[in-house]
Amino acid sequence: MSFDKDRLFDRLKHYLPTQAALKDFVHHNPLHAMQDQEFFKAIFSASRIFGIKATFSFNEYRKLHEAGRIKVDFVERVIREEKGADAVKEWKEKMLNGNYPHTYEPRIGSLREAWKPRLKCSLDDRVQPLLFRIICSYLDQGISLWHFPFEDRGLIEAIRTIEKNSFSSFFTSKRVRDLLMDDGLSLEALLKIVVGREELYEQYVLDQQFTHKGWSGIINAIEDQPGTLFYEKKIELRDFVMLELLLEIDAIDQELPGGWKPLGEDQALKSEDYFAEVPTGEMEEVLKLWQLAFEWDYYDRVLAGVGYLNKQKRRQIEKETSFQAIFCVDDRECSLRRHLESVDPNCDTYGAPGFFGVAIYFQPFGGQFVEKNCPVPVTPKHLIKEVETTHSHGSVPFHDKKLHTFFRGFFSSLSLGLMSGARMVLDLLRPSMRADIADAFAHMDVNGKLLIECEDPSLVEHDAQVGYTVPEMADVVEGILRGIGLITDFADIVYIMAHGSSSANNPHHGAHDCGACSGRPGAPNARVFAFMANHPEVRNILKNKGIEIPQTTHFLAAMHDTASDEIGYYDRSAFSAVHKEKHEENLAVIEEALDLNAKERARRFASINTNQDIKKIRQAIKKRSHSYFEPRPELGHGTNALCFVGTRHRIKGLFLDRRAFLQSYDYRQDPDGEVLAKVLAPLPIVCGGINLEYYFSRMDIEKMGAGTKLPHNVVGLIGVANSSDGDLRPGLPLQMIENHDPVRLLMLVEHSPEVVLRILNDSPANREWFVKGWLHLVVSSPEDGELYSFRDGEFHKYEPIAEVSKVEDIKKAIHSHPEMKSNYILDATKENIPVHVYEEA
Amino acid sequence: MEILIYTLLTAPVVALLIGFCFSNHRENPIYGSAILGVAVNMLAAIALLVMWLRGGMASVLVKGPVLYHAKESEFALTFFLDGYGLAYILLSTFLTGIIVVFSRTYIHREKGFKRFFNILKFFYCGLMVVLLAGNLEVLFVGWEIIGVTSFFLISFYRERYLPVKNAVKVVSLYRVADVSMLLGIWVCHHYFGRSINFAEMNGLNDAQPHIMAHGFYEFFIPATFLLAAMVKSAQVPFSYWLPRAMEGPTTSSAIFYGSLSVHIGVFLLIRTSPLWEDNVVFCVLIGLVGLSTCIVATLIGRVQSTIKTQIAYSSVAQIGLMFIEVAMGLYWVAIAHFICNALLRSHQLLVSPSVLNYQIHNQFFHFSKPAAQETEGLINKLKLSIYTLGIKEFNLDRFMFRFLWRPLKKAGAFFGKLGTQNTYILALPPFLMGAWAAYHKEVVPESLLRYLPEAFAFFGLIFILQAFVERRSALNAWALIVVNQLYQALAFSFNEEFDMSQVYLYLSGIVVSAVIGIWIINRMRNNGEDVSLAKFHGHSFEYPRLAFLFVFACLGLAGFPVTPTFIGEDLMLGHIHENQFPLLILIVLNLIMDGLVIFRIYSRLFLGPHEKGYHETAYRSS
Repeated sequence: MSFDKDRLFDRLKHYLPTQAALKDFVHHNPLHAMQDQEFFKAIFSASRIFGIKATFSFNEYRKLHEAGRIKVDFVERVIREEKGADAVKEWKEKMLNGNYPHTYEPRIGSLREAWKPRLKCSLDDRVQPLLFRIICSYLDQGISLWHFPFEDRGLIEAIRTIEKNSFSSFFTSKRVRDLLMDDGLSLEALLKIVVGREELYEQYVLDQQFTHKGWSGIINAIEDQPGTLFYEKKIELRDFVMLELLLEIDAIDQELPGGWKPLGEDQALKSEDYFAEVPTGEMEEVLKLWQLAFEWDYYDRVLAGVGYLNKQKRRQIEKETSFQAIFCVDDRECSLRRHLESVDPNCDTYGAPGFFGVAIYFQPFGGQFVEKNCPVPVTPKHLIKEVETTHSHGSVPFHDKKLHTFFRGFFSSLSLGLMSGARMVLDLLRPSMRADIADAFAHMDVNGKLLIECEDPSLVEHDAQVGYTVPEMADVVEGILRGIGLITDFADIVYIMAHGSSSANNPHHGAHDCGACSGRPGAPNARVFAFMANHPEVRNILKNKGIEIPQTTHFLAAMHDTASDEIGYYDRSAFSAVHKEKHEENLAVIEEALDLNAKERARRFASINTNQDIKKIRQAIKKRSHSYFEPRPELGHGTNALCFVGTRHRIKGLFLDRRAFLQSYDYRQDPDGEVLAKVLAPLPIVCGGINLEYYFSRMDIEKMGAGTKLPHNVVGLIGVANSSDGDLRPGLPLQMIENHDPVRLLMLVEHSPEVVLRILNDSPANREWFVKGWLHLVVSSPEDGELYSFRDGEFHKYEPIAEVSKVEDIKKAIHSHPEMKSNYILDATKENIPVHVYEEA
Repeated sequence: MEILIYTLLTAPVVALLIGFCFSNHRENPIYGSAILGVAVNMLAAIALLVMWLRGGMASVLVKGPVLYHAKESEFALTFFLDGYGLAYILLSTFLTGIIVVFSRTYIHREKGFKRFFNILKFFYCGLMVVLLAGNLEVLFVGWEIIGVTSFFLISFYRERYLPVKNAVKVVSLYRVADVSMLLGIWVCHHYFGRSINFAEMNGLNDAQPHIMAHGFYEFFIPATFLLAAMVKSAQVPFSYWLPRAMEGPTTSSAIFYGSLSVHIGVFLLIRTSPLWEDNVVFCVLIGLVGLSTCIVATLIGRVQSTIKTQIAYSSVAQIGLMFIEVAMGLYWVAIAHFICNALLRSHQLLVSPSVLNYQIHNQFFHFSKPAAQETEGLINKLKLSIYTLGIKEFNLDRFMFRFLWRPLKKAGAFFGKLGTQNTYILALPPFLMGAWAAYHKEVVPESLLRYLPEAFAFFGLIFILQAFVERRSALNAWALIVVNQLYQALAFSFNEEFDMSQVYLYLSGIVVSAVIGIWIINRMRNNGEDVSLAKFHGHSFEYPRLAFLFVFACLGLAGFPVTPTFIGEDLMLGHIHENQFPLLILIVLNLIMDGLVIFRIYSRLFLGPHEKGYHETAYRSS
C-alpha cells in the first residue's frame, strides 16, 4: 500500500479538535468528525479509536440506578423499545449484573509504542518539551519579549533561516541540520528515515499527532482561519509534522548513537486502518441501554409535565401587558424569565437566539480588528462600528511584560512589590472590577455611539457593508418578530435583552458569553436591533407587511450579566418622559426578579448562605463575578438538557431548573410551518453544540475536557496548558461541567408532527441531527394535546409514565433542595431539582 | 519571647493536626484551622517584632531540650531569631494567610482539598523551623520538610503523568541540596568539634586544633551551603527546575515557586554568612553565581511564551541579583528585595490567568507587528543564537542529565548486569562476616579494619545502584535499599568511633519502615496489582490510604526527620573523619541514591496515570 499524503492530511484535519484560539471560544460538538454516524456508533468508535470515555462506567450507571436517578421503569421500557418486550428479563439482568471486563486499548498510538523498548525511554519525553516550546513561541501572540523571528515564512522556513544565521542550533545531530537545509526536504523523506515502510506512514503520523491533539488541533484551526490570531502567523500542519519528525530523528540519534534502523524494519509491525469499522458487542449495547434509560428518566418527567399542562384547558388570560422582553434562548435566562413573570404576571417574555437576527462584525472605537457577533456558521455581511466612546480601558501594571526584563524587573519589584501586597489583601477582602477582569459591560462602551444606518452601501470594510440599509433593517426586525410570534399587542417598552458574563482570572470567559454571538457579549446586537425596530421608516415598511408597531412602543436594548446578575441598559436618551416613567416602574420589577434569580443560582454555589437577606445574596453573587479567587463565577450551561420551541404559556408553570433553552414560537400564526423552518434552522448547531460539548467534557473531563482549571497556564495568549511542558487543553474545564447531567438535548417543538416532519425532510442537514440521534426530538401537538417522539425517521405517540409532581411553593422547593456533597456524578445529579408543576392556570 | 517563638512553631502543627481529623468534604474546619494557625502566628510574629525592636534589635537564642547527646556531638532543639529571620517570618505568614484565604474558594470542591491544605500547612511548619532554627541540625529538619512538601505539591495532580515526572525530577535535585547540606553539617562538626548554634557563630576562627588544611575548609564549608542554596533558589545551572515545578494549583505555585520556597536559598546564605563573609574570593564566587543566573535567566525569560514560566524565570533572575547583594554584604538590601520580589511574583502568578483577557484586549486596540528580524551582521547572528539557546533553556536540563543522572544510570546498568540473585549471593557472606566481626573486632587485623568501612559502603552502593535501575519488582528494589542501609550501618560500625547504640538508633526507623513497606507492597501484589517499576501505575487511585502509609515508610527509610533514624544518620556522619574522604564520598552517594530510589518507588507505584483506564485518565502529554 502506498502512502497517500492527501488522505493523511484529510484525516488529520477531519479528526483533530477544531477549537481555535481561546479568545474565540465557541461551543461545538467535539466529535463533529463522526457526526455522520449514528450517535452511539460514533461514540463507541471514538472510544475505541481515541481511548476516550464516552459514557459512564457500568458501576456508575448501576449506582445511579440504586440512587433512584435511573428508575427501573425506564430500564425496562428502554429494553422493550430497543430489544423487544420478550427480552426485558434477559437484558435487565445484563444491565444490572452483567460482567464486562474493561479493556483500555485505544487504536491510535499503538504503532509508535514500538519505539519504547528500542529506545529504553519515551520518545515523547525527549521530543515534546522542545517541540511545544518552539511551536508555542512561534504562535505566541505577545507573552514573550522576543517574538519568534521570520514567522511570516512558515514554520520550517523560519527555523531554516534561524539555523542558517545562528551559532547555536535547535538540533544536536548534524545529520538533522543537514536534512533541514537540504532542498529536497520532504515529509516522505523524513518518514522514510523514521518509519521506513510506506504502508505505515499514515498510521505513524496519526499516532504522533494524536499524542498532542491540543497543539496539532490549534495548528489545524489556525491554518484554516488565520484570522483567529491578531498577530497572524503562517503555519501549516505539514510543517509541524516535519518539525516533529526532525526532532524525533535528533532524539533517536542521541539515544542510539551507534546508528539505527527505521521503526518499520520490524516486520512484525502490521499496518492497521484506525478508522476501520469498530466492532461493537454486548457491552456497548448494555451501555447504550443504560445511557438511554438515564436520559429518558429525565425527559419523561419533563414530558409528563408538558403532557399534563397540555390537558389543562389553558387559556391565555386577557391582560394589559406591562412590558415585553426578548431574551436569548440561553438556558441561563430560563430562571430569570420565570422570576420576571412571577413578580409581574402582566409582563411577557420571549426567547430568540441572542444575536437577534443581527449578524454583524462589530468594531469598537479605536479597535484595529473586528469581532464577529453572530453564530459561527454565519458569515456577516454587515459591519457595525462604534464611532464615539466616553471611556477608555484602564491598565494593570502587573501584567506588563516589561516587568520580566532584568532592570525594569528590579525597579518595579521594588516599586510594585509592596503595592501588590496591599492589592492582594484588597482583592481578597473587597474585590472590585479591574481592567484585567473580563467585564461584560466593558466589551462595548455603555454610552458609546454606534454607526448603524448605512449611509453608503458601496462602503465596504473587512468585506462587509458598513451599517444596514432601511430595507435590510426591516427584514431583520420582521424575521425576529415573526419568529417569536410578537406581531400584535406591543407593550410600551420592549426590552431586547442580550447577555454576557463577567469573570475574573478566567481564560475561558468566552465560554460564558453568548454562544449565538460567537462567545461574546450580545449587547451590540441588542442595540442594533432596538435601533432598527425604533426606526420610523422601518416601522413603515413593517406596517405594510402587516406588523404594526404603535408609536408609543419603544424598543430598549439591555444586557443581562449572567454571572453578576446585573442588567445594563443602552440608549435611554431616546426615551420620552412617559417611557422613562414606565421604565422606572419596570426597573423595580426587574431588580426584584434579579434578586430572586441570584438567590436561585446561589444554592448551587455551596459557599453562599442562601438564608441571609436577599440583597446580601445578590451582593455575594455579584462579588463572584470579579473575584480573582473564584473559579466558578457562574456555572455556565451546566445541566442543560432541553430546548423548547413554542409559546411561552404552554409551559408556564413547569419548573425546569434552568435546564432549558427557550425559543419562542407561535404555531397559531404559522400553520404551514414556514416560520418554524427558519426558527429551527440555527438551533441544532447552537444548542446542540453547547449540549454535546458539555456532554463529552463531562463524560471524559481529561481527554475531551480541559481538566480542572486550577493549574492552567496561559500559553501564547491562545490557550491553556498544564505546566510548562504540557499539551494545549481544548474543551471545557472541570469547574464548568461539574454539575452537568450528561444527557443529549431533547428538543421539544410545539406544532403538529406532520408539519415538523415536513420541515425536517426539507432540511437534510438539520434532519441528520435527529435521525442520527445526536439530539432527541419530541413534538407537542397543539391539535390533540398529545406528544410524539421522533424515532427512525417518523413520529410515534409518546406516553409518559412518570407521575406529575406538583408543588405549591416552588421557591421553597428550590431552596430546600440539598446541595451536592462532591462533584462526582452520583452526588452532583442529586442537586438537580426534579421537574415540578407549580402553577396551574 | 521564648513562648512566642514556641508559638510560632507549634501553632501550625496544631492547625495541621486539627485539619487532619476532618474528611475532604468538610472544607470549613480544614480551612478554619489553617486560617486560625496563620492568624495566631501573625499575631505572635508582630508581637515578636515589637519586642525585637524594643530590645534594641538584638537577636535571641532559645536553647531547647537536647534530644541526643554524645561526646562531641549533640542534637539540641535550639532556636534563634534575628532581624532577617523575623522579616522572612512576617512575610511568609502574611503570604500564607493570603494563599489560605484565596484557596478556600479557589480549591473548593477539588478532590484534593484536604490534601492541599495539609501540604500547605506542613510546608509552613517546615518554613518556620528553617527560619527559627538555632543550629544547622534543626535547620536541616525544616529544610527537609520543605523539600518533601514541594514534592507533594508538584505532584498534587498525581493522576497525570507530567506533574509526577516533574516532581521526581525536582525532588532528585533537592536531594542533591539536602545531601550537600548534610555534608556541611558534617564538616562543621569536625571543624568546630561541636555542634554550633547561629548565635555563637563566629566565622571560621575557633577551629579544632587538629584541623590542618585551613584554606581548604575555608572554601569547602561555605561551598556546601552555597550548593544547597543554589539548588533551592534555582540558580544556574539548576534553574530549569523552577518552571517545571509549576504543576500544582496556581495558588500553590504562587506561594512556593513564586515566593517563599524559592527564596530560601538567599536566607540560607545570610544565615551562614559568618562562615564565608571574610572570604573575599568566596564572596566573588557567590556573586558570580548570581551574575550568571541574572544573565542566563533573563535571556531564557525573554523567550518564554507561557505566562507562568516567564514569571518563574524573571523571578530567578531577581534572585540571582539577591545573591549578588548578599555577596556584597548588603543583607538588608537582599531581604528588602526578597520581600518585594516575593510579593510581586506571587501576585503576578495569582492573577496570571487574567493575562489572556487583558493582553488580548490591549492587542485589539494597540497591536503593532514587531519589527522583522534581520539576518545580516554579527549582532543579528548573536541575537538569533541567543534566541535559539533561550528556547532550549541553555540546555540546562540536558546538562544535568548528562553529568548527573546518566552516569548514575550507567553505573546502575553496569551492576544491574550482575542480576539481583547473584548480588545477594555475592553480598551475603561479606555481610554476615562483617556483622559478626562488628561484634568481635579484636579478631580482625588492624590493616584490614582500616579499609572495611569503605569496602562496606561500596558494597552498599552497588545495591542501591541496582535498585536505581530495577524495573521489574518494587519489592526487590525496596529490599535492595534495606540491604544498602544495613551495609551503611555496617560501614559505620567499623568506623573507629564505634558506638552500637547509635547504630541501633539509626536502624530503628529503617527496620520499622522497611517492614511497613514490604507489607504494603506485598498486600498490593496479593491483590493482583502490578507492582513492577517499569512505569507509573497510579495505584493511589484505588489505594489512597496505603499510598499515604507508604509515604511514611518511604520517609522513614530515607532518613527523613520522622523517625530517630535521622538523628542516627546525623550522628554517624559525625563519626566519619576528615581524613576519610573516600568513605565520605561513598556515604554521600549512598544517601543521594537512597532518596532517589525511594521517591522513584513511591511515584512508580502510587502516582501517575492510573493504568486501568476504567475512569477518565489524562493524556500523557497533558
